[in-house]
Amino acid sequence: MNAGDTAWILVSSALVMLMTPGLALFYGGLVRRKNVLSTIMHSFFTLALVSVTWVLWGYTLAFGPDSGAGLIGNLDWLGLEGVTGEPSSTYAPTVPHLAFMAFQMMFAIITPALITGSFAERKRFKAFVLFAVAWSTLVYAPVAHWVWSPDGWLAHLGVLDFAGGTVVHLSSGVAALVAALFIGRRAGLVEPATEPHDVPMTVLGAGLLWFGWFGFNAGSALGANGLAATAFVTTNSAAAMAALTWVTLSWLHRGTPSVLGAAIGAVAGLVAITPAAGYVTPAAAILIGGGVAAACYGATLLRLRSRVDDALDVFAVHGVGGAFGALATGVFATVAVNAAGRDGLLAGAPGQVAVQLVGVGVVAAYSAAATGLILLVINAFLPIRVPDAHEEAGLDIAQHGEIAYQP
Amino acid sequence: MVIAALLCFGALLVAWIVAPSRPQRVEAPLRVEASSEGLARAA
Repeated sequence: MNAGDTAWILVSSALVMLMTPGLALFYGGLVRRKNVLSTIMHSFFTLALVSVTWVLWGYTLAFGPDSGAGLIGNLDWLGLEGVTGEPSSTYAPTVPHLAFMAFQMMFAIITPALITGSFAERKRFKAFVLFAVAWSTLVYAPVAHWVWSPDGWLAHLGVLDFAGGTVVHLSSGVAALVAALFIGRRAGLVEPATEPHDVPMTVLGAGLLWFGWFGFNAGSALGANGLAATAFVTTNSAAAMAALTWVTLSWLHRGTPSVLGAAIGAVAGLVAITPAAGYVTPAAAILIGGGVAAACYGATLLRLRSRVDDALDVFAVHGVGGAFGALATGVFATVAVNAAGRDGLLAGAPGQVAVQLVGVGVVAAYSAAATGLILLVINAFLPIRVPDAHEEAGLDIAQHGEIAYQP
Repeated sequence: MVIAALLCFGALLVAWIVAPSRPQRVEAPLRVEASSEGLARAA
């Protein structure tokens, strides 16, 4: 047990926890004022909900001893039985097992919360609650096991994902696209996008996300060491370069340097560096940040031209950004940065790109299929979409009986 | 103990499923982006 490592993991867990309220503000500012509370509630409720389900069964399914074939953990750690203040023999051997569990819990919380941006302004709260429980159990837990358990089948294949490019962002981004297609466009939506009701709220949320992401990525070193410092610097470099690139693109394209673009661009950079943070150099992180901003900016333009009402562009940022980052990891990874990693294309191992491509394809396909099935089952006995009158009135008053702003 | 905790969460899950879908009362005067007709139908 190492005191420095333990302190860093506990602080990182708190940093990642703060990302979910940050996400609530990021999304809350982007919606119309009649839906801000319901949008914030999606994230805040998920924080409480998955905190409980993770302790009861989520952790053992994701990180418990393998039940065979590398697909899912067994129930040995149901209710955290046997998960104690002593280090695990499998994960993070210098910190208490409970600290590692808590750190992973914060990832499990924010992942389903990310999806909520796609069905904002029209999803029934009750259906959302059931969806969050089912999705975190049936999609997040197995995918985390595949990639992060030493017995996971994608881990055996050699897929690199330092902090969740596939497990967190790609899985949630693809689920968001499926959810947007399933639930349909918002009623009365003339333009393909609505104006954010509070840009400062969104920028504050993005700032909290950026801050918390240091725990997300540098904490994934699972120790207070040089690898954590590497991940910290690559994270900041990619976020900064992506923000600069997005602003530049929107400036050239629309004629003004968008404040909102700076916030969304930073998030796109943070998404893309997530799988790569502990495997690449700071210079590579800058290239990844610039590249992902261009890719995600293009994806948002394509979405605006489509009929898909992914309300807050979750797929364009997290789906595209997560896939971009996972593939970029296969290009830029080097064991000179992390001896426990693998070399990528530029270090003379082009096969790693193919391995990453398999990881991206498998996670995207599974998330799409499982999310669609979950939505079908829930919708069969509880309509996922609110009635038209509720949508018109706004979900804050219609679903929660409250309003955000007094007259 | 674990079984008791699971049962407690199960009770919450059942409560969420059977809970009413609409608020029982409106907490504050409304001024949101919606028509008065839509508000009346939703409340």
